[in-house]
Amino acid sequence: MDMNEIKEIFFQECEEQLAELESGLLKLNDGDRDPETVNAVFRAVHSIKGGAGAFGLDDLVSFAHVFETTLDCVRSNKLEPTQDVLKVMLKSADVLADLVSASRDGGGVDESRSRSLVKELEALAHGGSPSSSGHDAPKPAAKAAPAPVAKVDLPKPSDDSGFQPVPFSFDGFGEDDEPAIEGSVYEVSFKPRRELYSKGNEAALLLRDLSRLGEMSINCDTDALPTLDKMDPEASYFSWKISIRTTRSEDDIRAVFEFAEWDCDLEVKLAEEASSNEELPMVPVPFDLSILDDSAGGEDEEKTAERGVSEETVAAAVSAAETASNVSRTARAAERKESAAAAAAAQNNAAAAAAGAGQTIRVDLDRVDRLINLVGELVINQAMLSQSVVENDATGTSAVNMGLEELQQLTREIQDSVMAIRAQPVKPVFQRMSRIVREVADMVGKSIRLVTEGENTEVDKTVIDKIAEPLTHMIRNAVDHGIESPEKREAAGKDPEGTIKLTAKHRSGRILIELADDGAGINRERVRQKAIDNDIIAADANLSDDEIDNLIFMAGFSTADKISDISGRGVGMDVVKRSIQALGGRISISSRPGFGSTFTMSLPLTLAVLDGMVVTVAGQTLVVPLTAIVETLQPEAAAIHSFGANQRLISIRNSFCPLVDVGRVLNYRATQANPVEGVALLVESEGGGQRALMVDAIQGQRQVVIKSLEANYTHVPGIAAATILGDGRVALILDVDAVVAASRGQSMKPEMSLAATG
Amino acid sequence: MKKKVLTVDDSRTIRNMLLVTLNNAGFETIQAEDGIEGLEVLEGCNPDVIVTDINMPRLDGFGFIEGVRRNEKYRAVPILVLTTESDAEKKNRARQAGATGWIVKPFDPAKLIDAIERVTA
Amino acid sequence: MAAKKAGAGSLKLAAVLDLNEASNLHGKLVSMRGSDLKIDASGVERVGVQCAQVLVAGVKAWEEDKKSFLVEKASDAFQKTMQLIGINNENLVAKEI
Repeated sequence: MDMNEIKEIFFQECEEQLAELESGLLKLNDGDRDPETVNAVFRAVHSIKGGAGAFGLDDLVSFAHVFETTLDCVRSNKLEPTQDVLKVMLKSADVLADLVSASRDGGGVDESRSRSLVKELEALAHGGSPSSSGHDAPKPAAKAAPAPVAKVDLPKPSDDSGFQPVPFSFDGFGEDDEPAIEGSVYEVSFKPRRELYSKGNEAALLLRDLSRLGEMSINCDTDALPTLDKMDPEASYFSWKISIRTTRSEDDIRAVFEFAEWDCDLEVKLAEEASSNEELPMVPVPFDLSILDDSAGGEDEEKTAERGVSEETVAAAVSAAETASNVSRTARAAERKESAAAAAAAQNNAAAAAAGAGQTIRVDLDRVDRLINLVGELVINQAMLSQSVVENDATGTSAVNMGLEELQQLTREIQDSVMAIRAQPVKPVFQRMSRIVREVADMVGKSIRLVTEGENTEVDKTVIDKIAEPLTHMIRNAVDHGIESPEKREAAGKDPEGTIKLTAKHRSGRILIELADDGAGINRERVRQKAIDNDIIAADANLSDDEIDNLIFMAGFSTADKISDISGRGVGMDVVKRSIQALGGRISISSRPGFGSTFTMSLPLTLAVLDGMVVTVAGQTLVVPLTAIVETLQPEAAAIHSFGANQRLISIRNSFCPLVDVGRVLNYRATQANPVEGVALLVESEGGGQRALMVDAIQGQRQVVIKSLEANYTHVPGIAAATILGDGRVALILDVDAVVAASRGQSMKPEMSLAATG
Repeated sequence: MKKKVLTVDDSRTIRNMLLVTLNNAGFETIQAEDGIEGLEVLEGCNPDVIVTDINMPRLDGFGFIEGVRRNEKYRAVPILVLTTESDAEKKNRARQAGATGWIVKPFDPAKLIDAIERVTA
Repeated sequence: MAAKKAGAGSLKLAAVLDLNEASNLHGKLVSMRGSDLKIDASGVERVGVQCAQVLVAGVKAWEEDKKSFLVEKASDAFQKTMQLIGINNENLVAKEI
């Protein structure tokens, strides 16, 4: 793992923290006062700040810092999280999200916005607590460590007279003015307290680090040590007087004791040259300290040799000592084995703990995509194999057939499992929507609550990535045009705060996303008029309410200037519809004047496979998505009714349904086929109405792997995608809605071409 | 024997940084995601030093440090706290809880290794 | 004082003489008073000051008892740490005979 990978992890984690942050803030907004909620919110920001600091993302750090400070006030009950406070915080969360994406993808953020929020946050922090930590340097750049308090008892330079009585920096003095070669001699007096040891510090290690700064002599004062029976083995009795000759500064010496300075008495003085060794019997500490640095000690041959040499300088190495050190090595080896075993056990423990705690792994999406593609190929291959076996084995009872059936079962299961890997809850998308509602509502001066439901509904990642945009568009429309202004709402006897409800659920192998507002609903009169003005419908067209509502999805409906005064919507809904259709989805609207509108999107769970009915039309093989088909029927001559020039209806159980000749719509043939010779597929269309698609014959049902036509060829009106059949032939997948729309277009405006709606 | 470091941090980013830094420096690294897990993992892992964050879910760094210091077997293990430089108050609380030393964020590999070397034999 | 034991006692020091070991070591020394003591520090890898305090107190106690207290074998780590912290008591810094 390198830093780039960790950075990638950081950004992933940011996404999670931002989601956590937002949902926490929303909970607080709903009156949740659980301290853990506040803590979680605080941690989210803190965590982002921590990681950002490590990567030097200064803008992110400084904003997160101010945000964190204000959140800390809430956490410590210095600031009441009122609606107003939360409004600022939610906006800050949005800015934080912007900063994260700017850090990841480059690009700028709205600086004036973040600056004004910083001011608001600071005002909250200060207002909440006059003595708060708001004075903390918000810039990570301010690296200057707080000056050690102890610095004041710096000794005077030994020769005062040589200096002008001008204030100067002792830091500079220590570092620059010291003779570099010889160094100066400092006297250090060090008396640890009991707490120093109980907090895991060790005087011996401090002395070791000190000895590394230069040449050191030491005197251990043991006078305070009581008798053995009176002593407390965990108390601190020893203290030291150390004389050290070093080229380093006094601050460097004090820095050695940085972790311990609260738990010891420490004095550091520049020694007067003569007195250094006078009174105290100092023990020089000249030997090499490598053994103390390195617990691996005896493993290293070179080190052993080195140590041998250094020992010679301290004392003569006699055979007894040699024996002793051999013994010590053996003992150490044994110890090592034990520790190794312990380490292995520990690792097992840790692994077990990890397994218990986190039951997810992170996998590069590319790998999953590759797997999904391969499984797709496997499915095709399995189908081809089955087909050729069936063709060559008329009896259909052989063991090969049995095996093939099992293979098919297994392939199917593998495919489902693999698809499940890429399935994700829609939650992140929904959470993004709440931000959009906030922003747009703010902009247009409305007060709107977004309620979400079924956020954990899972759908393939490729679908999730693609629904965000149309959904955003629809949410904007709902806020801008759907919900009325607070005044209008109040006048209508409604809650001045509007509600938008976003719901996701699974419905028969598809995901259904509903977007409902409690606004004024579609103003049908005006939509109808607009459609007539724009030549979308004939002035005398007789349309049901549903059909009028669905006019807003028509291309060309919104091309005219602003129609936002229509209390429905319309801005770019044709675009929305097209992108939903491109996903193999459907969208429809239902509206109740005065009570609001509900958009319903139905999307496939995956863009990789599809259950289809394989049909023949004019000698071509087509696949019709099974989800679109309500039922299939064999038309009888008596059920077919013609009207107009070339319109036909089929009567099904006492109701009439327009008959659509697929071959004709797709221009496979010039003349209409005889319905009695074909099969009718009853399909549900967006407007809620049903249509009967006429095809020549049904070949069968099968799962097909979707191959994009756009990616490999070009967009063909009426065709959603392509697939490869078991016999290796390419078949086109019918875009049912496009075909139906084309036929509806014909019924409304005969000259309207397929391409315009497809 | 490699020195063994137990790290306790809820941030996946920081955990990975610690892991990479410590492994590169030749330490054996064991990781926990919060104070509770830290105390669980502590048993049987016998670390030479512990590095812990303060703000964590379930059990924060202060509670974790107190837990270690109350543990008969591991109370002497040095504990380094990951803290932000400006936060003197937190540093103080950590010290009161029994922290041995601290590593000032933003995270810097050299500072981390230096601090570990200082508190371990 | 406990009844005099015949012969000399001996004590092998633990590998890690840290805060945790100090009380342990103290207890052992207290229980071994009254007879000569030979200490084996050959397996010591780490010495904390608190154990050093206990050992120095031990030396003094044995002096008082007029018994011999001697570190016979010592690891490098033991010797060097003792020197580092300025303990040069002959009884503790093993003298190569």
